[in-house]
Amino acid sequence: MTDWNAMPDEDFRREVRAFVERDYPAQLRFILQRARWHEMKSWWGKLHARGWIAPNWPREHGGMGLDAGKMLIYFEEFERHGCARPPDQGITQVGPLIMRFGTEAQKAHYLPRTLSGECIWCQGYSEPNAGSDLASLQTAAVIDGDHFVVNGQKIWTSLADDATHIYLLVRTDKAAKQQQGISFLLVDLKTPGITLRPITNLAGHGEFCQVFFDNVRVPRDTLVGALNEGWTVAKALLGFERLGIGSPRRPQYALNRLEAVACAKGLLDDSGFADRFIALKLDIEDGAALYGRFVEQVKRGEPLGQDVSMLKIWTMETWQRLTELLIEAGAEQGVIAGVQEVAGVETDFLSPFYYARPATIYGGSSEIQRNILAKYVLKLPS
Amino acid sequence: MSTGPSTEHRALLADSVVDFATRGTDIARVRKLRGTSAEYDRTLWTKMAELGWLGILVPERYGGLGLGLTEMAIVARGLARGLAPEPLAGAAVLAASALVAADNEALKREQLPRLVAGQMLPALAWQEDAGGLDPSAIRASATPFEGGYKLNGVKRFIAGSAQADAFLVTARARDGIVLLWLPRETAGARLELETLADGRAFGTLELKDALAPKAQVAASGAAAAAALALAFDHANAIAAAELAGVMDRALEMSLDYLKTRVQFGKPIGSFQALQHRAVDLHIHKEVANAVLEESLAALDRRPAAAARAAAASRVKARCAEAALKITREAIQLHGAIGFTDDYDAGLYLKRALTLAAWLGGATWHRRRYLRLTAAAKGEGGREKGGAR
Repeated sequence: MTDWNAMPDEDFRREVRAFVERDYPAQLRFILQRARWHEMKSWWGKLHARGWIAPNWPREHGGMGLDAGKMLIYFEEFERHGCARPPDQGITQVGPLIMRFGTEAQKAHYLPRTLSGECIWCQGYSEPNAGSDLASLQTAAVIDGDHFVVNGQKIWTSLADDATHIYLLVRTDKAAKQQQGISFLLVDLKTPGITLRPITNLAGHGEFCQVFFDNVRVPRDTLVGALNEGWTVAKALLGFERLGIGSPRRPQYALNRLEAVACAKGLLDDSGFADRFIALKLDIEDGAALYGRFVEQVKRGEPLGQDVSMLKIWTMETWQRLTELLIEAGAEQGVIAGVQEVAGVETDFLSPFYYARPATIYGGSSEIQRNILAKYVLKLPS
Repeated sequence: MSTGPSTEHRALLADSVVDFATRGTDIARVRKLRGTSAEYDRTLWTKMAELGWLGILVPERYGGLGLGLTEMAIVARGLARGLAPEPLAGAAVLAASALVAADNEALKREQLPRLVAGQMLPALAWQEDAGGLDPSAIRASATPFEGGYKLNGVKRFIAGSAQADAFLVTARARDGIVLLWLPRETAGARLELETLADGRAFGTLELKDALAPKAQVAASGAAAAAALALAFDHANAIAAAELAGVMDRALEMSLDYLKTRVQFGKPIGSFQALQHRAVDLHIHKEVANAVLEESLAALDRRPAAAARAAAASRVKARCAEAALKITREAIQLHGAIGFTDDYDAGLYLKRALTLAAWLGGATWHRRRYLRLTAAAKGEGGREKGGAR
């Protein structure tokens, strides 16, 4: 097996680039919504066959075992080519948590199946009354012999209808202080008593679901970590994932389209428009400089601190403003659904706008990120 | 990442600035100099020369240190934190870079070592009423006279001019722009000062048949234009570093205040409305820092003129925008006390105002950046546009 970390960066970059350019399905480049499993299945298979599906996993568990610097290159090349994110929560989230907190039996059972795509995971965290205040979650799991009996509901569960399994935060001790009575379960979505209801989002897509649990009997051996220690398990994800969310390449499609439309329509001759355009473009480029500083930190092997939250705020909020100006640049055509032709340039005006909208909500809203920065970075009093 | 001797050198430089700033200058001194005809302190200027700072951008063959903008930025930022009014950017960057880039070797050998030693403080007189920031849009005239020139016209917005010993003046000759060395005592040259928001001054230089003999022609035509363009970009980058020093301190003051000021029985920094504002200011500061670091490194690789101009405009626009936002908000976060002259927050706002306006504000620089980069874009956008 190749030791990727020993390879010079540029060689590794070339290899990743060549692979995605050759094997990534062309029709899925720069798509403007979450990719579905049926679209991504064959690409997943190619990644898995090559041993490349889990860049972040150690080699003993079938991953690439990339160090932070190589992993950035891997993601940068995927993003550069416009590769969509497959339903990868098993790789990015639950897999690493099982490795760290799971039993040997759980590792042996779930990890290979997660790699192969036999287990596709979705995240059961949010509830109708527990969004930003996740620790107030109420879905209950009560021990009954060898099982937990789960009752309650989860919501905003992305791509649940593509998933085979859900990793679940449930309340196992109602008397304990909020964070302390929570446990982490791995649940097969085929278990009787589970019902899915897709929710249509503003873009008209059914990306997320409501998941109902009605006396669902879940084997006790699906508990990850100790009973009532689920919050610690869920919180253990590394800051590295948060760097990806703030990548300046996310807004790249919208910026390219905006620039193309502006040139095609001669909008840059209007100094009012040009001023807004270049301010936004520089917000992206300057945000990339900030991203670069965190990247250097990762490459030096230093852990990322809470300050990485600022990257998500900056990039996502700039991305939204870009998509707003793109619609404005399209004028009447900017509000017509689907691909429009403007002076020979094909652009989908509305999809980038919709795609960017939840970016300041998911992964911790901009307001929550600001709370984090105020408390942990600026050390403001509470 | 930089390693080796330059890292060590930069650390030493940073230490010397901190040492200087804590012992050599304080806000009381800054307040005393505000609006005076002295504008700044020549004794302190000499101390800065002794520390080698005035020669950072001057090649070693002229007695300087031959270092880069990254090093100069360390000093400029540290001094700006304490609002030192000494014209480091005006004299040791703008005027010095123009003279270094000029092609009158004898003049350079004579004046640059004196500049480095602090004995000769130069100011660049290149702007006029009407011309804005285009160095060629000037009306001051240079008519040939005994191998040199006779100068007539009015130069404006001259930074650091109050105690300047000489001016580098631009004027229009028959075959293009000339850059002339004019000692302050030259007959027919008269300087007047206008007080700026931050208490420093811009000079207006009136020239009536002022004579510049041949030996004082620093550069002509394309060489003069190139020297001015380089000096403009370097000075903007250093002004950006000064803006960074201003925003550093202004934000520190605001955060300290949020943590200590009590209203409604709590420190006001516990209120979410103020926390989120403070966070936004912090983010603006960090973005500006990242751009500053990246731009200085890019400029120190000595790129071609267009890339250099783009880098300078990018960093000036970002730092001007961020510093103005942070210093304005510093007033608001402090409440009424922030609006008093006794309190220092206002001094930082005023310095940010003048630095942002000097050599082009954020909007001007963003427009220039757009023009400079518009030609360079192309294939990348089209390729990605191919996908839906």
